[in-house]
Amino acid sequence: MTTNAHRTIPGSGLIKGLRVTITTMFKTIFIPKKYLATVNYPIVKETPVARARGVIALDQDACTVCMVCSRACPDWCIYIEGHKEEQPPSKPGGRIRARAELDRFDIDYALCMYCGICVEVCPFDALFWTPEYEYSESKMGNMLHDMDRLQDWMTTVPEPPALEK
Amino acid sequence: MVTDSDLTKHLSEAQVSVELQTEDMTLNIGPQHPSTHGVLRLVARVNGERCFDVRPVIGYMHRGYEKLSEVRTYLQITALINRIDWVSGYANEIPFIVAAEKLMDVEVPERAQYIRLILTEMARVSSHLIFMASYPLELGAATPLFFALRDRERVLDLLEGVTGGRFHPNFNRIGGVKPNAGAGPTTKKTPQDLPAGFLAETRDAMSVVLHTCEEIEDLVGGNEIFRARTKGLGVLPPEVGAAFGVSGPNLRASGVKFDLRKVESYLPYDKFDFDVVVGENGDCWDRWWVRLQEIRESAKIIQQAVDGIPPSGPLQAKVPKLIKVPKGETYVRAENPKGEMGYYMVSDGGTGPYRLKIRSASFSNISMLSWILEGVLVPDIIAIMGSLDFVLGDVDR
Repeated sequence: MTTNAHRTIPGSGLIKGLRVTITTMFKTIFIPKKYLATVNYPIVKETPVARARGVIALDQDACTVCMVCSRACPDWCIYIEGHKEEQPPSKPGGRIRARAELDRFDIDYALCMYCGICVEVCPFDALFWTPEYEYSESKMGNMLHDMDRLQDWMTTVPEPPALEK
Repeated sequence: MVTDSDLTKHLSEAQVSVELQTEDMTLNIGPQHPSTHGVLRLVARVNGERCFDVRPVIGYMHRGYEKLSEVRTYLQITALINRIDWVSGYANEIPFIVAAEKLMDVEVPERAQYIRLILTEMARVSSHLIFMASYPLELGAATPLFFALRDRERVLDLLEGVTGGRFHPNFNRIGGVKPNAGAGPTTKKTPQDLPAGFLAETRDAMSVVLHTCEEIEDLVGGNEIFRARTKGLGVLPPEVGAAFGVSGPNLRASGVKFDLRKVESYLPYDKFDFDVVVGENGDCWDRWWVRLQEIRESAKIIQQAVDGIPPSGPLQAKVPKLIKVPKGETYVRAENPKGEMGYYMVSDGGTGPYRLKIRSASFSNISMLSWILEGVLVPDIIAIMGSLDFVLGDVDR
């Protein structure tokens, strides 16, 4: 005699558990792709949202070597060097103009904490977030992206997402 | 053949061994142990299966946020304090930003406040779902982990869609929300509004979360082993909890109806209808149950906020470009998923605070560990510690 009412037939709990398992198994086959919890990663890739902070792209032409990003960076992972270059006057008889040229613009992604402050404070819109994430390296030193590599990310900058209403 | 004299001898030996004073052993738990939620070390004196004099040793993850904050600007600190309690990074920003706004006397637009409120509650849902995943796992049940993490992922995806970060949103700015980048060099930077489809997706996700709550309640709450291991274990009387400074769901599980969302006015919670869930006994079961109900209450708040959010409007109050907070000091506290989180901010008029005292919930919550773990069995240490739901980043800062 048992005090537990639900233990009347031996093995009924097992069958109940198996029923749940089998129903869940068949249910998962018909779940819309959108609601699948996992993807088969290297073969199938999830599309990150447009605002995702994946990697920072640099527009070299827009950069004026003002160093605002480098100073605002909380962990000082942006290294900038530049020089002034003289430009011919825009009209004859005008002043000789100086233009700052980038020599070095490196971001050390091994240090970067992906806060996005550099992108936010850039007064000339030279920095952009892109949602790309596949740039892991086997050597720590290769996480330092130089200005050409940062420029290459510019092709992956997405359009800003449409807004609610 | 056992003779009588043999039996007597044997029994007398057994008697002796029962009366023997066993030696106490010092058991070291952690700092690297999955149940410690980080790097917490416990030094316990164990006599058989009972442990006495449990001393938590903290500080393995001390990163010195209070000192760092003295040499950082307000913008940089917002990015830093996401990492205090990394399970609910968004909720950490709110009291800090509100403290700075209070000193600057800035009125935040209503739509921005609603966005903050929705995302804070989402952080609470995701933090409690982590608890729903990890606590049964620590007691030996692996299935609820997948149920809870699956829906937490949907909530985090929504958070990422708005802020760009799953764990470290860094989305709040003094006077509003984060501005867009790349609007053009001459254009004024516009604040980031909600992306299209966010409100509908949120409604959808919250109904899924509510459904999962029912599933978890059946799956975990109906489990006899789970009930046997949590009911009546680690009872925290309300007066002891209050004396140790315990806050949040841990205190409410003991029956204290105290919720800063009802008391303080850092976000417009007074416009929404929700209950403060309290437990009865203050045991591990109640702490689990209160958190489960809080997910439901948060989902209710989010659904109301999604319906009631102003359709359009400014997202950023007028603030100077170089933010300097006027001289003064203030303390702002908020109801974080883990408990009361507060910032005591002293400003001397510079671009960063002169002193920032961080009152984090988990630090106070685990201060009663040595009290609550006095005389419990060794396996129950894990059950009690897990039910307190602390994060070591929040303890050590």
